[in-house]
Amino acid sequence: MRKRVIAALTMGVLALSLTGCQKSTPKPGSIAGYDKGEQYLSIWVHSIEDTDEGRCYREAVDAFNKKYDGTYFADIEFIPRNDSGGGYSDKINASVMSGDLPDVLTVDGPNIAAYASNGIIQPLAKLTEKEKSVYLQSIIDQGTYKDKLYALGAMESSVGLYYNKDILKEAGIRIPDADHPWSQSQFLDILAKLKPVMDKKKGYALDMTFPVGEATIYYYAPFFWSNGGNMVDETGLTVDGVFNSKENVKTVSYFQSLLKNKYMSKVPIDHLFESGRAAFKIDGAWEVNTLYTSYPEVSFGVAPYVVGDSWNGERYAPTGSWAFAASSKTKNIKGATELVKWMSGVDSGKNLWEKSKSFPSTYEAYETIDVFQKDENYKALYYQLSNYGHPRPKTPAYPQVSTSFQQVLENCVLSGFDPQEQLDKSVERINAKLKRYTLE
Amino acid sequence: MGMAFFGPALILLTLFLFLSMILTLVFSFTDFFALNPSLTHFTWLDNYFQVFKDDDFRQAFANTVKFVIIIVPLQGLGALGLAILINKVTYCKAYFKVAFFIPVVMSLAVVSTLWVQIYSPEGILNSILAHIGINAQPFINSADQALPSIAIMSAWQGVGYQMLIFLGGLQQINPALYEAAEMDHASSWQKFKDITLPELKPLCIFVLITITIGAFRMLVQPMVMTGGGPSHSTYTMVYDIYETGTVNWEIGLASTMAIVFAFFVMILTVIQTILTKDKEGKKHVNKKAKTN
Repeated sequence: MRKRVIAALTMGVLALSLTGCQKSTPKPGSIAGYDKGEQYLSIWVHSIEDTDEGRCYREAVDAFNKKYDGTYFADIEFIPRNDSGGGYSDKINASVMSGDLPDVLTVDGPNIAAYASNGIIQPLAKLTEKEKSVYLQSIIDQGTYKDKLYALGAMESSVGLYYNKDILKEAGIRIPDADHPWSQSQFLDILAKLKPVMDKKKGYALDMTFPVGEATIYYYAPFFWSNGGNMVDETGLTVDGVFNSKENVKTVSYFQSLLKNKYMSKVPIDHLFESGRAAFKIDGAWEVNTLYTSYPEVSFGVAPYVVGDSWNGERYAPTGSWAFAASSKTKNIKGATELVKWMSGVDSGKNLWEKSKSFPSTYEAYETIDVFQKDENYKALYYQLSNYGHPRPKTPAYPQVSTSFQQVLENCVLSGFDPQEQLDKSVERINAKLKRYTLE
Repeated sequence: MGMAFFGPALILLTLFLFLSMILTLVFSFTDFFALNPSLTHFTWLDNYFQVFKDDDFRQAFANTVKFVIIIVPLQGLGALGLAILINKVTYCKAYFKVAFFIPVVMSLAVVSTLWVQIYSPEGILNSILAHIGINAQPFINSADQALPSIAIMSAWQGVGYQMLIFLGGLQQINPALYEAAEMDHASSWQKFKDITLPELKPLCIFVLITITIGAFRMLVQPMVMTGGGPSHSTYTMVYDIYETGTVNWEIGLASTMAIVFAFFVMILTVIQTILTKDKEGKKHVNKKAKTN
């Protein structure tokens, strides 16, 4: 008898765990501020509340609830994530399985294609051209997959080619204007000119590494795009002949020549640029703030990102950040779209800039924030972002593309492998991940 | 009554251990994709073929084995050496015990971050090397040195635990054995070889198995220090399982890797146990034969 009771109990627990504890929509009055007649909208963000970013989201949601009092009620949940995106994405994955997704969620820019093609997010309700024109072109590009707009971000990001003013002056090098960047060949000549100067300082012309993770593709994909190459084709489903194209082989060889000529260090040296021992550094826009606050003695500027020799003025500069999207589970796409628009709007972006120094996503925000009008470095980054910003490859197999890109550069540049062979190998790997989309 | 005590543990174990194990086994035969679970079908042994054909997994496997080969003797002998030294020291015994044990209590993530600084091109270790006239070494930034560098750090971090176990073992040895040896004018080496080692043997086996299993599970160190690089030289099996499951969303394939991994560790443990049991058994048989 006792055995049976325990067996039944165990089965009960098992059944409970298998069916999942589906969350039901709360009733009006059960949450402070949620009144009768309001439509309930749940929203998940990838941050904890007790951070500058988290507080901005809380304030934005509170403001939304005030503005739409009587119509909508947004209920925000904070989900922490680690560096590689785990934690938050684990929660999304689990919720996809249990059918427990919120109405609105945040998605990292490069993952929009994967989320859209797997039906986790749905296209937003139609936005008018006027509504769309508020956002930077790069934000619209990032959020669009197969001609439909899925996501809008409150933040945008950029990468700068920073230069040490004193060193360049010493070497007699002048910076080109933003619409006429150095070509890759010109840049090689400049590095050659800088080498003897930097050797004397026991430094390198370039402070450059190929870190594991998202940074490598984010920093260096522009060298490929502006050289006529790409990582995936327009459908996002073909990589053969694209990832391993002649153009890409040429660009990888270009990176190899940087190390061969000793313009960069083989092993990463901490604070090479910050300590005045590197003439150039490629790093995220956050570096400006770091240099201003922690290394005020370094006199630096932002040069336009280097382009390929055959560049014709196309968009090529790094962009991308987290964005808000409507989940496929929401039955209230109109309300969800309103919330997405609000969260990614001008005020939200301005607040995020003020508190966490993340670049905003709307033209109006840039025009009303003083520093983007007056500070030459921020101005240069904004110019590059708004005129030349290019989204990262749009493909459901993005994680594999990003990993392969980093491995190719690391293996070819640091370990001297053959570019064509490495690129071909990557194509095989990416194709293995794309199989599930191409077979359908 | 027994079941009442056992029941809660059984339920929790079922929920969080057995169920996950069973699900992992089931998923390993499917193409379960985290972003689209509704499209899951059984692919039976496909994943298993794929895993063995996968270059990354094979390299991760080779790296893990290499790591185990470096760390097991390093940490095992290190622990034994330290235990013997501390056992001999007559002053500040407690201090040394605590000092060597502190890294064990520290979080691996913290220790790894500290060692990134120590190993950095202009870090403390290279400064010391420069003082004694050795060129700066790339350590974790070189494909050749990264894995040994991480192994040395891991041995340093974990050695205190095994040291305490050995120390306990040393204190259990009957002093009469040493006294008898001294009367026969045995040298220190003979005493070590013929008394200390045989007496510690059962402990040695336990220590070896724990170090081996711990080493196979290595994940935190490369994640914090190298991200699996340079050129995948520190990419381990558990790291590959993690990346496949959470970054690439391929739960099915990751489950297969986990099963292969678990199977491999199990086989290794069984081999270790059999090898040691045999000898123990023979010893007992010999002893019995002698007493008879």
